[in-house]
Amino acid sequence: MAIKFNEVAFTYQKGTPFESQALHDINLEIEDGSFTAIVGHTGSGKSTLLQHLNGLLKPTEGEIQIGEQIITPETPNKALNNLRKQVGIVFQFPEAQLFEETVIKDVAFAPKNFGKTESEAEAIAAKMLQLVGLPESIYQQSPFDLSGGQMRRVAIAGILAMEPKILVLDEPTAGLDPRGRVDMMAMFEELHREQNLTIILVTHQMDDVANYADHAIIMSKGTIIKSGTPRAVFSEPDFLLNNHLNVPTTTLFSKKLTEKGFSFANMPLTEAELADDLVALLSRKGGHDANE
Amino acid sequence: MNKLILGRYIAGDSLIHRLDPRAKLVLSFYFVGIIFMANNWQSFSMLLIFTLGCILASKISLSFFLKGVRPLIWLIIFTVALQMLFSSGGQMYWHWGIFKISEFGVTNGLYIFCRFILIIFMSTLLTLSTAPLQLADAIESLLKPLKAIKFPVYEIALMLSIALRFVPTLMDETAKIMNAQRARGVNFGQGSLIKQMQSIIPLLIPLFVSSFNRAEDLAIAMESRGYQGGEGRTKYRVLKWQTTDTMAFVLFAVVTVALVYLKN
Ligand SMILES: Nc1ncnc2c1ncn2[C@@H]1O[C@H](COP(=O)(O)OP(=O)(O)O)[C@@H](O)[C@H]1O
Ligand SMILES: [Mg+2]
Repeated sequence: MAIKFNEVAFTYQKGTPFESQALHDINLEIEDGSFTAIVGHTGSGKSTLLQHLNGLLKPTEGEIQIGEQIITPETPNKALNNLRKQVGIVFQFPEAQLFEETVIKDVAFAPKNFGKTESEAEAIAAKMLQLVGLPESIYQQSPFDLSGGQMRRVAIAGILAMEPKILVLDEPTAGLDPRGRVDMMAMFEELHREQNLTIILVTHQMDDVANYADHAIIMSKGTIIKSGTPRAVFSEPDFLLNNHLNVPTTTLFSKKLTEKGFSFANMPLTEAELADDLVALLSRKGGHDANE
Repeated sequence: MNKLILGRYIAGDSLIHRLDPRAKLVLSFYFVGIIFMANNWQSFSMLLIFTLGCILASKISLSFFLKGVRPLIWLIIFTVALQMLFSSGGQMYWHWGIFKISEFGVTNGLYIFCRFILIIFMSTLLTLSTAPLQLADAIESLLKPLKAIKFPVYEIALMLSIALRFVPTLMDETAKIMNAQRARGVNFGQGSLIKQMQSIIPLLIPLFVSSFNRAEDLAIAMESRGYQGGEGRTKYRVLKWQTTDTMAFVLFAVVTVALVYLKN
């Protein structure tokens, strides 16, 4: 399912003295099967944008198209129920949504809501728990007895169990240790590759954007200030740094090397690319030295 | 959820904002008391003008106060209608079975309407212009004399300020969890009554769990910063009685005298 935003704006509590505009002039396109990363400061409107993707919020201006469904400010809420099933959103700190007695029941909650029978739902739940790498021994445990990282995996499995076409992740690695972060990102990469899920990821980790995404969107103050391939976006590190955003470690390192006199044909994006480029550059330099 | 205007503080630096919260609290209650002395149009007009004057002095837009009336509008309409339809006296305008609209009923209805508006406006002014924690401090300070009869003033005040402090947090949390469960296919407020009751569980359990966790964290944080009960604890925000506070009392005394003079 492709996603298209056309001149979308959103104002919280519109028509009250407390109204505040969270999004304005949003235009974007997300292709089916892509891996999109959204970055921006806290308060730049990322989470608000995500809630438009499954109809939790409706734009107060403009139009959104998700698959066949068109959402305008006038769309009735009833029409959006169908969207909920197709777009799974993993909210920030999703472990806060766990409530069932056992892990498996919690994961089976969403498919049951969307009309699956108890046994069908539990079969899906078991499959998804396996997919997120949780051992069978915990299926019958209370979700509240698990470690933080495990709870998060249960919550993510709970969304995957809806078998959505689009998976939306709001800072899914926040608060995890480095090892847990790497594991979790590898899991999303695998889901993207093997299940052909369209993934939309909000993150503060620029390295993850460089390593996994094929489309990057930079938000600031409620609107999109840059969008394109990660390579294009990170090719001008100064633009990001001027907006007080980080750049991938690799980009930062390459930028420092450039300042010391190195020159890269293409700004390297990942560690592997940087290593290759450096080997090429250094061996050329080495050869040059030997000639003298 | 955000429709509830009562209990929402709007920061500002007006005369009303700077009044001592104890003065505001006492005077608000006092005002609600004297409203019931008003019994003719002169006295009600005077109170209305006085209230509007207070609102003006707070520099808070009148629309906030009108929004405060909205959740109570049905109660107001119901009470006023009851008064109008069932009281008799004076000239009779209309009459059908036990229902009648009389001169007496109309004026009574109007007075009740005024009373509602005055009470809502004044109490809204108190909560809009006073930070919740200031109110808690004020209550603590006003309750202090009760310590003589072993009333746990500090504990009550602490509970009150913690509760007030966490109301917005809890409301945010509720909104977040509702969104998360909606994304999992729960339809709050739709379907049969049983369905609706069932949909509360996925909301309440996470709320309880996070509240207990938060309470534990808070207790540890307080103990590690040396909290040992309220006895002898000094305050960061010290309440200070100023001349303007005394002036406010004088002003209310004048209003009371005027009221006694104007009423029948
Ligand atoms: N429920 C809400 N009510 C009112 N304002 C909100 C609400 N949620 C977020 N906002 C405001 O909208 C803006 C964008 O917030 P958000 O989308 O959460 O940003 P991000 O996810 O990028 O940190 C912020 O200014 C925030 O204060
Ligand atoms: Mg956010």
